[in-house]
Amino acid sequence: MGSRSALLVVAIASSMGCATARIHDERSAAPSSPSAPVIAVPFHAQEAYECGPAALAMTLGWSGLEIAPADIVGEVFTPGRKGSIQTDLVAAARRRDRVAYVVHGRDELLAEIAAGNPVIVLQNLGLSWLPRWHYAVAVGHDTTRGAFVLHSGRDANRAVGEATFAHTWRRADEWGLLTLPPERIAATADEQRWLAAGVGLEQAGRVQAAGAAYGAAIKRWPESLAARIGLANVEYAGGDFAAAERSLRSAIAGHPTAAVAWNNLAQLLGERGRKTEAIEAARRAVALGGPDIDVYKDTLEAIERR
Amino acid sequence: MRFPKTFAKAVAVVVAPALLVCMTAQSTAAAMVSTARVVAAAAQPDARAAVNAFIARGDVQDVMTRWGVDPEEANARVAALTDEEVSDLAARIEAMPAGGEVVGIIVGAILLVFFVLLLTDLLGLTDIFPFIKKKH
Repeated sequence: MGSRSALLVVAIASSMGCATARIHDERSAAPSSPSAPVIAVPFHAQEAYECGPAALAMTLGWSGLEIAPADIVGEVFTPGRKGSIQTDLVAAARRRDRVAYVVHGRDELLAEIAAGNPVIVLQNLGLSWLPRWHYAVAVGHDTTRGAFVLHSGRDANRAVGEATFAHTWRRADEWGLLTLPPERIAATADEQRWLAAGVGLEQAGRVQAAGAAYGAAIKRWPESLAARIGLANVEYAGGDFAAAERSLRSAIAGHPTAAVAWNNLAQLLGERGRKTEAIEAARRAVALGGPDIDVYKDTLEAIERR
Repeated sequence: MRFPKTFAKAVAVVVAPALLVCMTAQSTAAAMVSTARVVAAAAQPDARAAVNAFIARGDVQDVMTRWGVDPEEANARVAALTDEEVSDLAARIEAMPAGGEVVGIIVGAILLVFFVLLLTDLLGLTDIFPFIKKKH
């Protein structure tokens, strides 16, 4: 093998995988044009295959958590796959009290960037039959040059042309991830989507953060029944029964026919020894019925037995 | 301890009805209706979906452990996913892309691959080589 082909082998080997051991990169040398507003996201150059931990450390850093990629490798990286799978990023964000919010498609990506929310994007930099999966962080969109601005691999603020980005992102199903402070509702969120993201925090056992996400939802969508039920649930889980009762009563004030609110109030009152009130609330839930009627009946029965 | 897949499935078939009973009984003990259930009211997950998710958590954890993730860490990762996410993941975990993965290729194919990627890079379809200046 001649020295020239040996060089090629080295070039290929070094560019495979998300290692991106880029020795020189003309594109990164040119800073993005001053006209492009770029979100202030702390940059971490990735080590070896660790684009997942690096990307997550960057968006967590933006969200106010100073963290090094090395600190989260254990939570994000899967040795057997020499990489990070999407759900591991989701789980790790939640474990750090951040709302993991998934976006799809160009419109949502642009809306979040415009709102100042950096987005972790999964790209396939190779081909469908020769994939090279990579995580980068989209921090800006340069309309004048027709490029996305990415923190990627070893390059901060790297401009990647619209068409090239579109190809590499489409091969990864145009998947993007936001890691938001729980008070900061995503630009593309509606009530249902935001609350579903909040449920993820509750599932992860991060009840304080989940409560903050539900609280933000109540401010944005004051009519929301699910947000109040959610807030009451996390207050109950945290042992703040007075607050939970207030949340449930305010849910009932806005939605007097919501059986679930009556049921949860009955359960709470029953546990606090307020039997008469509890039975009355439980009877309301049973009378209103719905898909969870069996649960309501159980609640009533349990309280009557107390 | 690891069981063969089919045996695990057989156990699941036997255990699942028992779990359903446990869940119904459990609701008597603590009958706060969960936020997840209220939020997902449109696509109401039934008890069977809950059982499937329960089994999926074990399956996903097994795969992660096989991939070298510490069992306790695998448990913590799975615990932070919702029932829906974990069921979805269990169905396609082997095919999940892992950002950072290295492609295994035989040396003989390298040159061919290089030229293909060189061409596609020049066309702006891929973004492999840093020394290719692209037309944006």
